[in-house]
Amino acid sequence: MSLSDSIELSISGPINVSISGMSCSDAAEAKCPEMPSAIEREVMSLFEEFRDPLLRYAFSFGIPMHDAEEITQEVFLSLFRHLQLGRSRRNLRGWLFRVTHNLALKQRYKNKRLGDSMDHEEALVETQQDPLPNPEQMVSFAQRQRRLLAVVYALPDADQICLRLRAEGFRYREIAEIVGISLGSVSISLARSLARLMRADDAC
Amino acid sequence: MLNNKAHSTDEELIQSADGELSGHRTAQVRAHLAACWECRARMSEIELTIADFVHTHRQSLDSQLPPIGGPRALLRAQLAELAAKPQERSEIWFMNWFIRFTSATPVAAVVCATVLVIALSSVYIFEHLASGGVKSGEIAIERGVVPDPAITPGATRRVAIRDVCSMAHEQVVAEVSPALQQEVFREYGIVNARPSDYEIDYLIAPGLGGTNDIHNLWPQPYAARTWNAYVKDSLEEHLHQMVCKGELDLPTAQRDIATDWIAAYKKYFRTDRPLPVSGSRIPAFRARWV
Repeated sequence: MSLSDSIELSISGPINVSISGMSCSDAAEAKCPEMPSAIEREVMSLFEEFRDPLLRYAFSFGIPMHDAEEITQEVFLSLFRHLQLGRSRRNLRGWLFRVTHNLALKQRYKNKRLGDSMDHEEALVETQQDPLPNPEQMVSFAQRQRRLLAVVYALPDADQICLRLRAEGFRYREIAEIVGISLGSVSISLARSLARLMRADDAC
Repeated sequence: MLNNKAHSTDEELIQSADGELSGHRTAQVRAHLAACWECRARMSEIELTIADFVHTHRQSLDSQLPPIGGPRALLRAQLAELAAKPQERSEIWFMNWFIRFTSATPVAAVVCATVLVIALSSVYIFEHLASGGVKSGEIAIERGVVPDPAITPGATRRVAIRDVCSMAHEQVVAEVSPALQQEVFREYGIVNARPSDYEIDYLIAPGLGGTNDIHNLWPQPYAARTWNAYVKDSLEEHLHQMVCKGELDLPTAQRDIATDWIAAYKKYFRTDRPLPVSGSRIPAFRARWV
């Protein structure tokens, strides 16, 4: 299955037609864990924890930062609706990344058609600005980073995604679920990517 | 089977470092690493590359992430707005009850599934017999007459009933730009579409609060024999009238038409088949080609 085949919009029903949770009085809050305010607090807490990793992940798809930000916001609104409907709370981190993955893929596809894709060179340029105490170290380190990033951006999509998700701390099984590939494919993909990264210095 | 004397592959070394091997195989790889400098050196190289990649991955992207303050405030406001919308307790209650009941015991889940299958089968068989038997394909849903929910889930704007009921005809018969039309066709993978073959239709009509968003548009074939664009237009008009007469609340109309417009037609017209409509008339809620 290709990545584009795995696109899944996890928003069910009309986007703005909201089905709100049960309303409870403040006094009854303790007996009513599903009240919106409790879910809002939970979503905001998850936002604090996962906003940066999700934004980083969405941005790594090569879409403009403003698109990545919109996707991240939409993901948390979807999470709110997901929780409001009392759906599964199992592995919400994986759920968040899976929805981000699908929306980012869709956005990238849309941008490509509109000719609004971001040049990865922009990211490479950014890495040259990393501050390090020693100028020689700075040049050497920046060069190494540029070589690694050049290799990463040359990897097939699925390999890049597996590598980035692993760097975000996901286990192979979770990566397989998010990307929609087999466990064995994740393992092979990571081994192949690391082999290429290890050869990054040889290319110069 | 891994031999302690045989070198480990890179994949095995990575899996071992990632804790993805079984306990037995991990022990074998560790035993081999203890004895083999070559593989240990390889392992160190892999670990170093991983560390470099993680550092590069973070540094190259983190430096470009905007501050969290603005998005946090925006999300908080959006959540408050969502939470303040009209509530439909029955649906929430049923979902919660169903999830709790089925998760309480696997037997309950099996019983629920069985009852559901029997009930649906009974309804289908009853309807089939009641209609005197229907020829194959006659009531089948033709391709394209319902939107792909992943591409077209529907989109609405916040609107009061008095607004939708006082909309001018020009507002109701909203135009879809050629660029957006082409985008809709591309979304659905339709190449070289002829305008006369499709109506770029609103899933939720403007007269019911639907927007011009691509998530609310899909190419509906005129040529469909049964459930075609004209039939849906008549449903949109009917629902609009019901909403304006106070016979139906707007969120329900929006949800029903977005979830399954054919089921909504059957429900609100109390019929299993479309009522006759003139194919040549210009329906009130049609999204026109420009």
